Amino acid sequence: MARYLITRLGQALIVVVLVTVIAFLILHLLPGGAARATLGKEATLEQLAAFNHEMGYDRPLIQQYGMYVQRLLQGDLGYSYQLNQSVVEAIEQRLPKTMVLSLLSTLLAVVLAIPLGVLQAVRRNRWPDYAITALSLLAYATPIFFLGLMMIIVFSQVWPILPPEAPQGFTVAEVLADPAGLVLPTATLAIVTIAVYARYVRSSMIDNLNENYVRTARSKGLSERRVVLRHTLRNGLFPVITLLGMYLPALFSGALVVESLFNFPGMGQLFWQAALKRDFPILLGVTVIISIATVVGALIADLLYAAVDPRVRLRGSAT
Amino acid sequence: MSESIGPTARHSTPAVNAAAGRPLLELRDLDTDIALRRGTVHALDGVSLEVAPGQTLGVVGESGSGKTMTALSIMGLLPPGGRVTGGQILFEGRDLRSLPPDEVRRIRGVRMGMVFQDPLTSLNPTIRIGAQVAEPLRVHKRVGRAEARDRAIETLRRVGMPRPERIVDNYPHELSGGMRQRVAIAMALVCSPSLLIADEPTTALDVTTQRQILELIDDLREEFGMAVILVTHDLGVIAGRADRVAVMYAGRVVETAATEQLFHAPRHRYTEALMRALPESAIRESGGHDRLISIPGLPPDLSGPLTGCRFAPRCSYVSDECRTTDPSLVPGAHQHACLHPVPTPTVAVSGPVPAQVEPAAESVTAAPPERAERPVLSVRNLVKNYPVHGRGLLRRTAGQVSAVADVSFEVRPGETFGLVGESGCGKSTVGRLSVGLEQASAGQIVLDGTDLTDLTGRERRRMHRQVQLMFQDSYAAMNPRMRVDAILAEPLEIQKVGDSAARQARITTLLDQVGLPRRALERYPHEFSGGQLQRIGLARSLALRPRLIVGDEPVSALDVSIQAQVLNLMRDLQRELGLAYIFISHDLSVVDYMADRIGVMYLGKLVEIGPARDVVRAARHPYTQALVDAVPSITPDRAATRDGTTIRGELPSALDPPTGCRFRTRCPHAADICTTEPPLVGGLHQVACHLPLRPEPTSTPTPVQAFG
Amino acid sequence: MSTLSEAVGPAEPNDAPPRGLWRQGLTVFCENRLALVGLGLFVLLAGVCFLGPLVYHTDQVHTDLTAVHLAPGEQGHPLGTDGVGYDQLGRLMLGGQTSIIVGLAAGVLATIVGTLLGAIAGFFGGWVDAAVMRVVDAMMSIPSLFLFMLLAAIVTPSAPMLILIIGAFAWLGPARLVRGEALTLRSREYVQAMRGMGGTGGRAVRRHIIPNAIGTVIVNATFQVADAILYVAYLSFLGLGIPPPAANWGGMLSDGLADTYSGHWWLLYPPGIAIILIVLAFNFIGDGLRDAFEVRLRRR
Repeated sequence: MARYLITRLGQALIVVVLVTVIAFLILHLLPGGAARATLGKEATLEQLAAFNHEMGYDRPLIQQYGMYVQRLLQGDLGYSYQLNQSVVEAIEQRLPKTMVLSLLSTLLAVVLAIPLGVLQAVRRNRWPDYAITALSLLAYATPIFFLGLMMIIVFSQVWPILPPEAPQGFTVAEVLADPAGLVLPTATLAIVTIAVYARYVRSSMIDNLNENYVRTARSKGLSERRVVLRHTLRNGLFPVITLLGMYLPALFSGALVVESLFNFPGMGQLFWQAALKRDFPILLGVTVIISIATVVGALIADLLYAAVDPRVRLRGSAT
Repeated sequence: MSESIGPTARHSTPAVNAAAGRPLLELRDLDTDIALRRGTVHALDGVSLEVAPGQTLGVVGESGSGKTMTALSIMGLLPPGGRVTGGQILFEGRDLRSLPPDEVRRIRGVRMGMVFQDPLTSLNPTIRIGAQVAEPLRVHKRVGRAEARDRAIETLRRVGMPRPERIVDNYPHELSGGMRQRVAIAMALVCSPSLLIADEPTTALDVTTQRQILELIDDLREEFGMAVILVTHDLGVIAGRADRVAVMYAGRVVETAATEQLFHAPRHRYTEALMRALPESAIRESGGHDRLISIPGLPPDLSGPLTGCRFAPRCSYVSDECRTTDPSLVPGAHQHACLHPVPTPTVAVSGPVPAQVEPAAESVTAAPPERAERPVLSVRNLVKNYPVHGRGLLRRTAGQVSAVADVSFEVRPGETFGLVGESGCGKSTVGRLSVGLEQASAGQIVLDGTDLTDLTGRERRRMHRQVQLMFQDSYAAMNPRMRVDAILAEPLEIQKVGDSAARQARITTLLDQVGLPRRALERYPHEFSGGQLQRIGLARSLALRPRLIVGDEPVSALDVSIQAQVLNLMRDLQRELGLAYIFISHDLSVVDYMADRIGVMYLGKLVEIGPARDVVRAARHPYTQALVDAVPSITPDRAATRDGTTIRGELPSALDPPTGCRFRTRCPHAADICTTEPPLVGGLHQVACHLPLRPEPTSTPTPVQAFG
Repeated sequence: MSTLSEAVGPAEPNDAPPRGLWRQGLTVFCENRLALVGLGLFVLLAGVCFLGPLVYHTDQVHTDLTAVHLAPGEQGHPLGTDGVGYDQLGRLMLGGQTSIIVGLAAGVLATIVGTLLGAIAGFFGGWVDAAVMRVVDAMMSIPSLFLFMLLAAIVTPSAPMLILIIGAFAWLGPARLVRGEALTLRSREYVQAMRGMGGTGGRAVRRHIIPNAIGTVIVNATFQVADAILYVAYLSFLGLGIPPPAANWGGMLSDGLADTYSGHWWLLYPPGIAIILIVLAFNFIGDGLRDAFEVRLRRR
């Protein structure tokens, strides 16, 4: 187990380093470069050269990357002239809010997807299965902003019970103080997630229900309920833990769209506005931070899985 | 009620029934259908059976005969789409089909127990063993947690589990296959059922473990006074253990009788043919071999309508009447459904039909191999270690598995060298090394005078012509997207043999040689049955006209009747083409039939090597003797006279094999001297044992030390 | 040369005439009703978008400020007009062309790049594999929309540029898949059997690995196309799509969002439904193809 832990941590570290390299390369290898991006289209060549020299952008790439990493380690992600704010500050304000949105919708998705997926597996190839499968496919095929818009139309126009805009609070506490405003963004983000999770739970449960050990359980004269809940459910749900980690990138992508649609002041909206204004320090900073969040999330999911599933937990000690 | 004549009258087995009054379980005209996408399979058609309390009923049949479906129908565990469509399942006098489902569940959980074939997958991997064993008690008898745990420990102890108080807290994957099967048995027995159904309980296990498990079931039957239904494809397993036997074929019971009666004087032609197809029936006391009597063709497809006797298309005694009349079981103690049964006063079964004996087959073994001739293959001091990687970042080598440790042997032209041993003994690795599929860690593989280990890539590829591998599962060994003609042409293309016309001609010849019609060329592997695939596999290995074919368990996945077809074919081709075989198998009786000489492997070591007849009938190594004793036999007296060289415990890990003699940890005769490694010594019949069971017969000429 | 002294009997396969695997696959595909529906949907949508303009002529270049926001049916516009006077039906056809072409091209590009890299990683193994797969891991940790937007913010988006951007970063999924497939296939017994005959690695790839992996790749490509169409829609919604007068369904849909409150529903629902239908179509086709390629697994 200890060895697994170290291996997994090492892998995560390598991935984080590579993420910074990729983001760095994208920004520095493309035409225009960071100087033009920072100073805008009107800047003169002299201004650009001066900026480049000041920032060290005229040095070899390797050296620049070294400086970048050095600053990164000191918690310096650069400065956004457009926001007149350091990137770290901007992210600090918004990251917690994005986390709230992501966690809430994941929680909602898990709570709904597990029973749905189990129901599908148990009633396989009968109408509940077909109905849920059809709805999942529909949810998957609908662009998330279109889905969100329809939610707005239904729940704030046709039947006005919820506000169409997310809470605009500055802190997490203020955001949470307006639960009604959180409902539509959370639900929109959760619906697509439910579709993905339910499909996964279904196939994992079906795989397990076909296992020989289920037949053994039935041979003990157990009720179908006990066979499903006590014997199959645990084994069927273990892989779902790793799915939580694997799904994080898609979740954050979805959050980007949802935040933009509902005007939710999180990382996604920050990134979106930065992209429209070509605010590169923010773009780079957010990309790196959101990727690290993804890596860490996946790491936690994997470790959790290893901790709860005896097949993985005990393998380390056996060899 | 069903027919007026009570089944007890029809099926009377006075001895048992008198004692018990009435049968514990009785099946009357059971029909079971399985609905599949492409139609309905009538898996069982009018099956009637009965089991008395305390009795063991053996149900035997080949794959598709319905034996497992019978067990699953009784337990109500049919796969999706499966349904009992007719008949009665009377358990303790009550028809399970008419009882409410909850009642049936309770009966299934408390009064019946079932043990399945594959112990590796039939336990829940994430629930502790104690909890799984005690579950029926907790659910059906509402026993408290602490008491349930004690009862689980007690039951585990009764099934011979070492240190049960610790095992209860383990998970299944921490145990070996044999131990898991003991857990499965404990689970079935924890409520003291009156009926235990064991469906191929030992098929996935090694013979020595199989013997332990079968003995355990026997002992427990007496101890618990329960009835046992033992379902198996292996006639030998039944012969040693059952009171009565029911033989099934194509969804029906075709013959049922007391065990001794059935094995001494089978009446149904199918039963007779099945016994004759066993390799042990063809081995004479002299050690000479007769040709196996194989059953041609395949069992019928049960999804279509069937008329007449279902065995008729494959039966050599068939008459027109058989094809039109559907024979029913004739009443009596010995029931059979055959219009032309074997006459009652038969001579012993083992006597083969003289007309079909080919003397030529016998002479192969009779003549001792020519010493002067240069061996096709000579393996010297072969070693293969597999590194075991840690899971760390650098994947440092954490140790190594010693798969093959200093193995030497020779294969002479035209000879069959049998390599036998239990799973994990390294026999398959030796085969793969011999054909060059893997690189040896040390030692030499000399093929026709050239050392394979010295060769570079291209030269080695050329040498591949000389030695070819035949796989256990030919389906897996054939690209599913290639037609048979492409599969057979592949070796010729790789070795650039001839032009395309010549290759085409060669392919056609090959197909003729293995007895398949030309039409097979246009088909894909999935369209063939197991036996047919094995023929195609053999044809492919023959394509390059090799001098040696390494068969890795080539018939282990086949039913007995099909196995006989393939074995006969292999011998025919050997005689005709002067082939040598390395025949690798876990099944000593098949190796005994096929091989001229046998090598026995244990944990990477060759422990004994000698002429087939001597190794099997006068084993010198205690491990060989244990193997020989563990092989189930259909000759009841042979089954009875086992002297019981039972080996104890479990196979040690090859990661850290015992020092000295690797068998000493399980050997009944182990002594101090065994801590030093015994060399393989002797003349023609060599053994690697400090305390061999018997000396090498002095009559054998002492040869030069075989391997330098 | 009569080897068979013994009557082998009817050891022959079933009597049906032999059929090729492609034919069998086609049969299986056609048995899947949803797959046929998907194929029909795709043919219908593509037909309308590419052939429709030949019979239904509209001006999609010049704005007409005298005919803005006409409701469906008014002045001979069956689906009305948008805020600058473009005929909505004609625009749907034009936008559909872009969406389908970009989706297909990006999906195919991603599949090709991913298949090559995955195959190389899986076949060579060792450090090549480790290097490629770590890069894949790293890129997969960057949520794809963030990555696309980063690029779209740097370069000026156009249809070919979108294809390149999406294609260049959507290959991760196929790469992982193909690598896994190559690893499994490499250890299959039929590949070992071929090596036992003296065959080379090249032959293993040509004759065994590619033919058996191709199904997985094609199936995955259909899902890639569906995803690419969605990505284009997202980028358009986020303001980084293809600028007018070019059109695509995603862009039309996000333009339509602004009209939600003014009641111009015909600007919102038609492109939204079109996207859903085309994405569903590719998913159905993919499922059908998966069944069709699994023909080989069906033993009797």
